[in-house]
Amino acid sequence: MFELLAIHPAASEFGQFLILGLVLGSLYALIAIGYTMVYGIIELINFAHGDLFMLGSFLALGIASGLGVLTAEAGVAWIVLTIGLMLVATPLFCATLNVTIDRFIYRPLRKSPKLTVIVSAIGVSFIFMNIGLFWRGATPVKFPDLIADTNLIDGTGLRFTWKDAMVVGITVPTMIGLTVLVKFTTLGKAMRATAQNPHAAQLMGIHVNRVIAATFAIGGALAGIASVVYGLYIKSVDYQMGFQNGLYAFTAAVLGGVGNIPGAVLGGLVIGVVGELGKAYLGAKWSEALIFGILIIILLFRPTGLLGARTREKV
Amino acid sequence: MAVLEVHKLTMRFGGITAVNNVDLTIHPGEIFSLIGPNGAGKTTVFNAITGIYEPTGGEIRFNNQPIVQPLTARTFVFALFVGITAGLLLMILAVNIEALWQTAIRDNFKGKDEPFDWGQAFADAGSHIAGRGDRAAAGFGIGLILGVAGTLASWRRARHAPDFIMRGGIARTFQNIRLFQSMTVLENVLVGMTRDLTAHPLLSALNLGSHQQQERDAERRAAEILAFVGLAGKHNELAKNLPYGDQRRLEIARALATRPQLLLLDEPAAGMNPSETAELMQLIRTIRDRGITVMLIEHHMNLVMGISDRVAVLNFGVKIAEGPPAEVCRNPKVIEAYLGQEEVS
Amino acid sequence: MSLGRMWVLLLFVALAVYPFLPLAEANRGEQFTILFIYAILALGLNVVMGYAGLLHLGIAAFFGIGAYTVGILTVPFLPFQQSFLVAALAAVVVSAAVGIAVTAPILRLRGDYFALVTLGLGLITLYAIRNLDAITEGTKGMNPIEAGPLPGIPDTVDMSAWRLRPDWSMRWYKYPYLYFLSLGTLAVVMLLLRNLEASRLGRAWVALREDELASACMGLNPARLKLAAVALGAGLAGLAGAFYAMALRTTGNPQAYDFTLSIIMVCCVILGGLGNRSGVLLGTFILMGFDRIITNILDNELQALQQRLNLGFGGQAYTKVSGWKLMIFGTVLILMMRFRPEGLLPEARHQRELHPEVAEAQGEAAAKIEAGETIRDK
Repeated sequence: MFELLAIHPAASEFGQFLILGLVLGSLYALIAIGYTMVYGIIELINFAHGDLFMLGSFLALGIASGLGVLTAEAGVAWIVLTIGLMLVATPLFCATLNVTIDRFIYRPLRKSPKLTVIVSAIGVSFIFMNIGLFWRGATPVKFPDLIADTNLIDGTGLRFTWKDAMVVGITVPTMIGLTVLVKFTTLGKAMRATAQNPHAAQLMGIHVNRVIAATFAIGGALAGIASVVYGLYIKSVDYQMGFQNGLYAFTAAVLGGVGNIPGAVLGGLVIGVVGELGKAYLGAKWSEALIFGILIIILLFRPTGLLGARTREKV
Repeated sequence: MAVLEVHKLTMRFGGITAVNNVDLTIHPGEIFSLIGPNGAGKTTVFNAITGIYEPTGGEIRFNNQPIVQPLTARTFVFALFVGITAGLLLMILAVNIEALWQTAIRDNFKGKDEPFDWGQAFADAGSHIAGRGDRAAAGFGIGLILGVAGTLASWRRARHAPDFIMRGGIARTFQNIRLFQSMTVLENVLVGMTRDLTAHPLLSALNLGSHQQQERDAERRAAEILAFVGLAGKHNELAKNLPYGDQRRLEIARALATRPQLLLLDEPAAGMNPSETAELMQLIRTIRDRGITVMLIEHHMNLVMGISDRVAVLNFGVKIAEGPPAEVCRNPKVIEAYLGQEEVS
Repeated sequence: MSLGRMWVLLLFVALAVYPFLPLAEANRGEQFTILFIYAILALGLNVVMGYAGLLHLGIAAFFGIGAYTVGILTVPFLPFQQSFLVAALAAVVVSAAVGIAVTAPILRLRGDYFALVTLGLGLITLYAIRNLDAITEGTKGMNPIEAGPLPGIPDTVDMSAWRLRPDWSMRWYKYPYLYFLSLGTLAVVMLLLRNLEASRLGRAWVALREDELASACMGLNPARLKLAAVALGAGLAGLAGAFYAMALRTTGNPQAYDFTLSIIMVCCVILGGLGNRSGVLLGTFILMGFDRIITNILDNELQALQQRLNLGFGGQAYTKVSGWKLMIFGTVLILMMRFRPEGLLPEARHQRELHPEVAEAQGEAAAKIEAGETIRDK
């Protein structure tokens, strides 16, 4: 295994893996934000989030098949229309589903211990997975390859394709928009207040359940957007992909300091880059182990994540 | 000689100085009270003494010993052991554990019925590692450093830990009662007695030998303590179902079960009615008469003035007076600190 | 002894006489053996989660370490060639040691962070098992595992006189009695855990779970207590893994020790009743029994029915009961958490922790009585 260390990719290859890592990382970041927001507000590790993402990608796939837009030859107008429709319908679908789940499954458990809610989330995850299985079967399904792999930075020795540009072009504005929402709108303020102290927030006239529902909606919508981007970028989806990607995203959230949105973004990028560099220097089969290794090492030195706040118990 | 000496204790949280250069000396067999308006830093002093907070500055000595776990040879040996283990592990990983296994074990294995040449296997393993000397050394070195540093760091974090301090002989109760709510009264006291039960867990699992004897002894002593604080006959009630005053008494019983030399009581009379308070005063005296030094935080002035041998007054984290109760309550600084802020009953 | 406790005893007796009954089937016995093994694993997890209150999402790793320790120490193509007893003891020791070594550094992490790191450690273990081909045979699994039961003593147990079902001894090659061995081990584990619960360690774990700070102020060392729980839990998981490898005669694909197993074990423990031995046993039997036995039976029945009626809708995931497995698991978990979060057989203490309103009502009632008394006293 470690003989692989002998492979020393050239500097340009290092740059290439860095680019790949950042692109993939921004995708993880988008999913991670959904985890981190929900955790921040009700301290729930939402195990179903990754599977919500999986269902989103299945819906996106359904839209593409429904419109018959399955290859890049379909014409730019059709492709733009299809992707546009995916980017509207999938987030809506995921947000609605997430809010519904919260309303009927998590809300009745608001006063229960954490473990109870986490186990419910695991249950929801199982159900989503089963729905995915019925929807598209047990084997991986090809996702339409709609975006060209043309290199945009020819001549530099690096590759940055239209696909990469699409990922960055969708994820970065989304994250900026979210930051603005949380920082400057009334809803964002209500969210932050609820996250700090739900009881006090309620006393201040904040409709806590509505704020929580909004959080689930935003988190779900982000997972929906991420699922479209993922499908277009990776070009293959299956009913178990929610687990793996959800796990990475959750790891990203914890790495950054769970509950902290910039932390989730940072965590996502770190995981993306570490995973890709791990593939380059240790071989693909060790890159997953490396991601969790890094997570553990970072938590050993910063027990509440990279940007997490430290807390002290009141005696 | 003093039981407890607090020397220039300072506690800072961020920019706030909760306790500032406080000196306290508690003599054996006395009842010493710490009073002061709300937020004066009394509980913070208790938390620093019992290891919940690590003091920002100053020193606390119990029986003339600092209350931090000393760095002994044992700690070093243990750290070295951890370091060497981690080093060996990392070394094996660094020289490619798979190739090592292949050369040492698989290549030397001739068949199920042939004898395996262990000497050859170790020799091959040795030469494999020697052939990658730099990596092996680097791996071992990193592992050793990480292991030793990690162990010492965790010792450093735990050296001021509450459990270590308690085992030295300081027990406490809490201002906002912290009983083990869903355990019974008896079990709460038995938890305090854990130090007396030395039978190996393996014996406990087999329910053998010294385990049974010790459990019986512990239950008998627990019953004595419960009778002593006035909770006889409530052994099997859940702690959380006890009335408030009984919960406070149970906290004292649990602390006494640890056989302390010094007992810290944080507002033991809070929420008690006058008759319960009178009983409590008597209880505290009896505890003192049993040879346990008592240090207490209390707002209830009748109680403080009635039983204390000496009183210290904190205000805004600074000690403003100390002495016999009669003297302290005439002290103009004390009167000023209290006036208009709190009812002196 | 109440019926509530009697059922465990009755269950054990029934399972012990099962192989002698005319209705017994050897392959059913094999499936039961796997259930007993999973029950040991679940009891191990229960020590960590139910007693010490640590959410552990990587217990399957220790199960795998146990299985692979037995594999490495017994397979005919490696030089160790130990007996099962030695290998199983080694599996317990190695699992417990790994448990301590990997948990000690992460103990200071708070609840959810701890849970995630255990999940990560579980996955790292799985990847290591999968990737270290030279040692673990990678995805092929180590086989055959056919060690003798005791060091240096040939297996002399002759089962022909036991009047078991005729094909019973065909199944396990050298271990016709593996069924009894695993059932007996499970019973012993139950007994030991019962004693431990009533000892200082058991009380200390409860105290720790309720209030870590207060228990530290009572002289309990939280780190050491948690490590003890993890060591015991991991050791039991390793023991279960050792039996698992023996029962299958192979370590199987490393996938058998992945996160899914950890999560299902968590579900077994919670479904049965966190912290309650009998409950965990029941939860495991129900969940794993459904997973391993009942879905198979139903699938076969359904297929037979389809063929008889010539319906021609076979082959789809949703036409098989096994296709609905996750849906059923998920629904059961959600309903349980909503209506009976304390599990089927709740441990009294956990029930009180999960239903604060009941205790509050009791507390208020007690307070009223107290108030009434004081008024009367005056």
